Amino acid sequence: MNVLISTLTIGLILSLLAFGVYISFRIFNFPDITTEGSITLGAAVAAALILHGSENPSWFTTPWAATLLGGLAGGVAGVATGVLHTRFKIHGLLSGILVMTALYSINLRVMGQSNLSLNDVPTIFSGPQFLAEQLHPAPADGGVNQLPFAGWNLFVNDLAALAFTLLLIAAVGAALYFFFRTNLGTAMRATGDNAQMIRALGSNTNAMLVWGLGLSNALIALAGAIFAQYQKFADVQMGFGMVVLGLASVIIGEALVRSRDLVLTIIGSVMGSLLFRLLVAIALQWGLNPNDLKLITAGFVFIALVLPGFVSKLGKRKVGGLQHA
Amino acid sequence: MLRITNATKTFHPGTPNEVLALQGVDLHLEPGDFLIVIGTNGSGKSTLQNSVAGTFMLDSGRIRLNGHDITRWPEHKRARLIGRVFQNPFSGTAPNMTIAENLALAARRGKPRGLGWALNRETRDRFREQVRALNMGLEDRIDNEIGTLSGGQRQALTLLMASFVKPNLLLLDEHTAALDPKTADQVIHLTKQVVERDRLTTLMVTHSMQQAVHLGNRLIMMHKGRVIHDIRDDEKKRMRVEGLLDRFEEVRRVEALDLPAAELLKAAYI
Ligand SMILES: Nc1ncnc2c1ncn2[C@@H]1O[C@H](COP(=O)(O)OP(=O)(O)OP(=O)(O)O)[C@@H](O)[C@H]1O
Ligand SMILES: [Mg+2]
Repeated sequence: MNVLISTLTIGLILSLLAFGVYISFRIFNFPDITTEGSITLGAAVAAALILHGSENPSWFTTPWAATLLGGLAGGVAGVATGVLHTRFKIHGLLSGILVMTALYSINLRVMGQSNLSLNDVPTIFSGPQFLAEQLHPAPADGGVNQLPFAGWNLFVNDLAALAFTLLLIAAVGAALYFFFRTNLGTAMRATGDNAQMIRALGSNTNAMLVWGLGLSNALIALAGAIFAQYQKFADVQMGFGMVVLGLASVIIGEALVRSRDLVLTIIGSVMGSLLFRLLVAIALQWGLNPNDLKLITAGFVFIALVLPGFVSKLGKRKVGGLQHA
Repeated sequence: MLRITNATKTFHPGTPNEVLALQGVDLHLEPGDFLIVIGTNGSGKSTLQNSVAGTFMLDSGRIRLNGHDITRWPEHKRARLIGRVFQNPFSGTAPNMTIAENLALAARRGKPRGLGWALNRETRDRFREQVRALNMGLEDRIDNEIGTLSGGQRQALTLLMASFVKPNLLLLDEHTAALDPKTADQVIHLTKQVVERDRLTTLMVTHSMQQAVHLGNRLIMMHKGRVIHDIRDDEKKRMRVEGLLDRFEEVRRVEALDLPAAELLKAAYI
C-alpha cells in the first residue's frame, strides 16, 4: 500500500512532465527533446540552491523559491531551443539536441558533481509533512508515524506528500487550463493548429513557439525540481528517456479520454502519467528487470505511433512532429 | 490606398528552376476599389497577393498601404491592415478549434493578445449573431470544431473572420475555386455583401469569367509576371464574358508566335 502511495505521488509529479510534453508535441506539433536536459536542470538548480541554503540561507534558497527558480531555468532552456529554431532556422529536433547537450555540462556545473543528496535539508514536502505531524503526532517512543487505514498502516509522511502533490498538480492544471482559454493561450493553440491562419490574423508565430517552448520546459523543469526533492537526490542522468516517458503518458491519457476538450486533455495527461507509473510498478513487482524499462517504454510508444488501428483509436490524431514525411 | 511600384520577384534565382514570377508590376488602388485579377496559370496572381500579404519579401520594388511603406514588414505585422481568404478552405481556419474560438482569434486581428479571456458570454452572443447572418445554420454549432464543417462553410467563416476587424485591404485568392458551384455562388454573394457593406478595398483573384465580369469596378489581366490589361469603370461595366475570352485568345496567339521565336533565340545562343 505504501508502495502504491509513492507510485501515485511520482505519477502526479511527472504529470507536470506530461503537461510539458503535451504542449510541445501536441499543441505546437514541435518534437522538443530539450526535455531531457531541462528536467535535470530543474532538479539541479533546486537541489543546488537548497543545499547552498543549508550554509547560507537566503530567500532564494527556501525550498519554494528554489523549486520555482528551477522551473524558471527550464523555461530559459526552452526559450533557447525556440530561438535556435526560429531565429537561426535550425531544424527543430537539432535545436533541442543542441540545448540538451549543452545542458548536460551546465547541469554538472550547477551541481558541482554528478549527484546531490537532499537527505538532511528541508524540501517543499517539509511543510506539509510538518502539518501532518501536527494533525497526527508521531508515537512518543520515536517509532515511524503511521496511520492505520482499512487494515494497512500508512506512512503519514507519504500521505502528506501525496496530498500536497495532488493539490499542487490540481493548481497547475487549472492554471494551464485558464491560460489556454485567454487570448494569448488561444493564439498559441492556433499556432500549432494552423500557423498560416494565425499569422494572417496578426500573431507572430515564431514568438508564440518560443514562449510556448519556454512554458513547456518550465513545467518540465518544475517536475524535475519537485521529483528531486521527493526522492531526495538529484542526478545528472535523471533526464535520460524522459521525452519518451512523457509521450507515453500523453498517449495513454489521450486513449483514456478520447477528446480534444481542453479540460479533458489536461486531466488525461495526469491520468496517463498515473496509469503509466502504476503499470511500471506492477511490471517491476512481477520481476521485470528495471534496466529493460526504457526498451519497453520505447517499444510501447513505437507501437502507438505506427499501429494505425491503435492510433485511430486514439481519436484520429497524428502524433505531432514525429511522423515526418 | 494600395500602391505597388515596380514589384519583382524571382523564385530559385540562378538555378534551372528559375521563375520570374513578377517582372515589374505597378498597381495603384483607390480606397473602395474592388479589383479583379485574372490571368493564365502561373502568371503571378498568387505571387502578387502573397507579396502584398508578406508571405515573402519582394526582390525589388515598393508596397505602400494606407500611408505605410510595408515593403519590409513581416507578415504578422501587415495583418493589422490586411484581411485574407485563401484558395484552400483548410488554410483560413484552425480545424481543431471551435467556431467561437476561431472567431475570437479573428476579433483580435492586429491587436495585442494578452491574458484576457478569449471568450465570454457577451462575445459568444455577438459571434452567434454574426454566424446566424451567414444563413448556414451554424449559429447552434459555434462550439463545434471547425474541422467538422464543409469547405463552403469554412470559406464563409474565413470571409467573416477576414472582415471582422475592418481591414484596409481584403485579399481573396480564388477563394471559391475549391467549392461546388452552388456553394461558390453562396460565398460570392457573401463576398459582395461584405465588400459593399464596409466599402472594402479588395483585390480578388479568380478563374471564373462569370465572377470576373460581374464583380468589381476594375479588372487586370496578368501574364508572365506582368499586368497586360487594365480595364476600368465604364469599360469594366460593359465587359462581357466573350470579351474576356477574346483577350485570353489574344494572349494565346501572341504566345504561339513567341514560342518558336524563343526557341530560335535559344538555339542561336546555345
Ligand atoms: N513559393 C514558391 N516557390 C517557387 N516557385 C513559386 C512559388 N510560388 C509561385 N511560384 C512560381 O511562380 C510562378 C507564378 O505562380 P503563381 O502562384 O503566382 O501563379 P498564379 O497566377 O497564381 O497561378 P494559378 O492560376 O495557377 O494559381 C509559377 O511558375 C509558380 O510555379
Ligand atoms: Mg494562384
